[in-house]
Amino acid sequence: MGNTNRLSDGKGRIGSMVQSFGLPRLIIAGFLLLLFILAPFAGVDLFMQITNVLNRFSWNAVMVLAMVPMIHAGCGPNFGLPLGVVSGLLGATLSIELGFTGAMSFVMAILISTPFALLFGGGYGWLLNKIKGGEMMIATYVGFSAASFMCMMWLLLPYSSPTMVWGLSGQGLRTTISLEGFYNRVLSDFLQIRIGQLVIPTGALLFFALLAVLVWAFLHTKTGTAMTAVGSNPAFAKAAGINIDRTRTLSVIMSTWLAAVGILVYEQGFGFIQLYTAPLFLALPAVSAVLIGGASVNKATITNVVIGTFLFQGILTMTPTVMNAMIHMDMADVIRTVVSNGMILYALTRKMEGSR
Amino acid sequence: MSKKPRQNKNVKHLLMDNSVPLMFIVICAICIPLSGFSPSYLINEIVTRLGRNLFLVLCLLFPIMAGMGLNFAMTLGAMAGEIGLILASDWQIWGIPGIILAMILSIPISIFLGYICGTLMNMARGREMITSYIINYFINGIYLLVVLYMMGPIIPIMHSSIKLPRGYGIRNTTSLLNMRQRLDDLLAVNVGGVKIPVLTFLIIGALCLFIVWFRRTKLGQDMRAVGQDMEVAREAGIKVERTRIISIILSTVFAGFGMVIYLQNMGNMATYTSHSQIGMFCIAALLVGGAAVDRASIGNAFLGVILFHLMFIVAPSAGAKITGDSMIGEYFRVFVSYGVITVALVMYEMKKRSVKSRTGQLLAQAQREEAAGK
Amino acid sequence: MSKTRSWIFRIAAVALLVAIAGAMMVIGRGHTVYFDNYSLEYNGQTYETPYKITVIVKDEQIAKLYDKERGMSTWIGQSFEMDLEVMQEKGGSEETVHIQLDLPYSIDGIILNLPAVLAGLPEEAYLTEFVPAAPEPEPEDENPEGLGEDDLGLDGFDM
Repeated sequence: MGNTNRLSDGKGRIGSMVQSFGLPRLIIAGFLLLLFILAPFAGVDLFMQITNVLNRFSWNAVMVLAMVPMIHAGCGPNFGLPLGVVSGLLGATLSIELGFTGAMSFVMAILISTPFALLFGGGYGWLLNKIKGGEMMIATYVGFSAASFMCMMWLLLPYSSPTMVWGLSGQGLRTTISLEGFYNRVLSDFLQIRIGQLVIPTGALLFFALLAVLVWAFLHTKTGTAMTAVGSNPAFAKAAGINIDRTRTLSVIMSTWLAAVGILVYEQGFGFIQLYTAPLFLALPAVSAVLIGGASVNKATITNVVIGTFLFQGILTMTPTVMNAMIHMDMADVIRTVVSNGMILYALTRKMEGSR
Repeated sequence: MSKKPRQNKNVKHLLMDNSVPLMFIVICAICIPLSGFSPSYLINEIVTRLGRNLFLVLCLLFPIMAGMGLNFAMTLGAMAGEIGLILASDWQIWGIPGIILAMILSIPISIFLGYICGTLMNMARGREMITSYIINYFINGIYLLVVLYMMGPIIPIMHSSIKLPRGYGIRNTTSLLNMRQRLDDLLAVNVGGVKIPVLTFLIIGALCLFIVWFRRTKLGQDMRAVGQDMEVAREAGIKVERTRIISIILSTVFAGFGMVIYLQNMGNMATYTSHSQIGMFCIAALLVGGAAVDRASIGNAFLGVILFHLMFIVAPSAGAKITGDSMIGEYFRVFVSYGVITVALVMYEMKKRSVKSRTGQLLAQAQREEAAGK
Repeated sequence: MSKTRSWIFRIAAVALLVAIAGAMMVIGRGHTVYFDNYSLEYNGQTYETPYKITVIVKDEQIAKLYDKERGMSTWIGQSFEMDLEVMQEKGGSEETVHIQLDLPYSIDGIILNLPAVLAGLPEEAYLTEFVPAAPEPEPEDENPEGLGEDDLGLDGFDM
């Protein structure tokens, strides 16, 4: 399909602004704003809500950041997030198994999960290179397969730490493992700021900022720009002598590693390690968050990640409380499913700029 | 070229094409003795599950015919069927009339949802499968809205026995006791302790006949042409978009019927969860039968349901025998379902790429020859 | 196919489906029928209960009812048929009565007073509506999307 017909060229500046920002995004942002405005009237403590939103932002932002490298290299959003999550979980459980405690267990969890993430990410990247054009669907099912394979492994691997295995049989990991005494809130409580009801998890936010800056800086190195070129214009990239397959594999490895770190950050905030089927459905919320933030299937920036995670988590935390207080109906589930999947649908059905 | 290598290649091809069913036959052959189930129990279970699932699996054939891949959005039809059943059971229509009524009620909902789904998939050409996969979650949200919040205040529900105690919304489980296996029991034949639900099989047979007949109609031919090559079909004067939407609508409507058949066999409906896994299991079953993303037959569906459900029945107890933990088998069958779908998708995409590069090479060669000719 | 013809075709198909649905709603209406062997007074006359009534619906024995006992059965459709084996005195001979009566469409649970039916009284005498006791609240329904009950709780979709 060569010819691209532009339907709406000039609808005035507001129109073009709306278009560049995307109508669905505007609606979601407006909805969140409305929730914030309504909150005091509904008798909901606004500061506590903001604290909640900030907390959930800090838990989830790294996993959303894991979308960026793959989108940049044209591999689509990382629907295979569970694969990275699984390597993170391996790191977390091994770190505890090896007897690390406190903040050290968090550092070790990241270190131990890194080789797994490199290994899994490498294989995953190799596979995605074989099936260019069909990444999204296959990534989804690679993630599912990996997570469900690990379901068996969690039972079979010879873990023995009494904090993690089932008390009765002495083998097989529990479905949820408390992080009390390990890295529970290790980032969130670091440099925490309290202003009355408002609590800011500075450490976790700084950690995200650090990773975000690293990704941003990487994207501006030579390899990073090459990655962007591969994603936005493969033909040009090939002509410029960039090794496309290698660049794509690198992006997939980065995404997988970020996902591994992302789940560790999530766990330190949440306080528990969740195993078995828990990682299966982590991908879609993260994908929709980055898309809500203004990314498309083949373009994403750090700003998209920040805005998207804030909007998505904002709606997730605000709707149940505000709606419940206003109309005594908890429609949060419906709103969450419709908003997040609607956003992905919107992004999928839009005409692609450039390739494919 | 000598003849031998080619024959070798054919055997290899045959093995490659049927690798998934063969693998499953091996898995089942290992697991059946380990599980310790008696043959008559297994046959009974398989016959029941054939009657329960085959109709649902068959409805996946239409989008494959139109080249739209595996229809993960067949759950939309399942939801429509469930709404039909909820209404029929609220109106106290029992037995086979209730089943027929639920099917008829599901038709308009299925057509509507199928139309939306088809339109969206037309907008996301080349990414139909992931789109259908997301649509399935999206519409699930709408289903929640309708069944959990609108049934009661907006859609009248008379009987408090199926409503949540709070006064609106439907309970977690809707009892279909008065429709339970009515379809299966009518005309049922008992052969050596195995109950064969003849009427259900007749209905499935009718759908098979319909599919065979449909392939030969003008519309069916068009659909296959669209599946082969959209641009060529368009130039031949086929309304590509319309044909694709029709294939999704057909799939959705039949999925609705299939879900009603499935649930009347179960006799109990988990209002909010019974549809969620249906799509995945049906797709996995079809692929286990040797289907590919772009090629599937009634035979694939038949073989697939038998093999997949045989694995499903024996895996937990076989797993328990091997490892001493029954959950292993449960996880194993889920892993296998996902794994089969992954493998099928990878094989499909790789084949698509190799075909593309081959045509590219042919084109280049033709150009070179042309240049040399000048 | 011409446009008008295809439209006629479609309308006919829709009409057919609606007609079938309507027919199903009539013939498929299910009722729960309760049988009471209670004595009653009607128009100043008392109808005594026989010693025992055996209720047979569709060749299946539903209940043996002595004085002040109740049996239950289900019936699809409005034209209800049953056989009653009536034993007036203990040890006496049984007498079989075939009964056919119309059930009202709008009532789910119907109580039939058998002595009244046997005496051939009008509908208002033998037929009352069964009103179920208010259903006790079930705490398990508090979480309507309860995910635990399906295969593996695989469909959680939470961050």
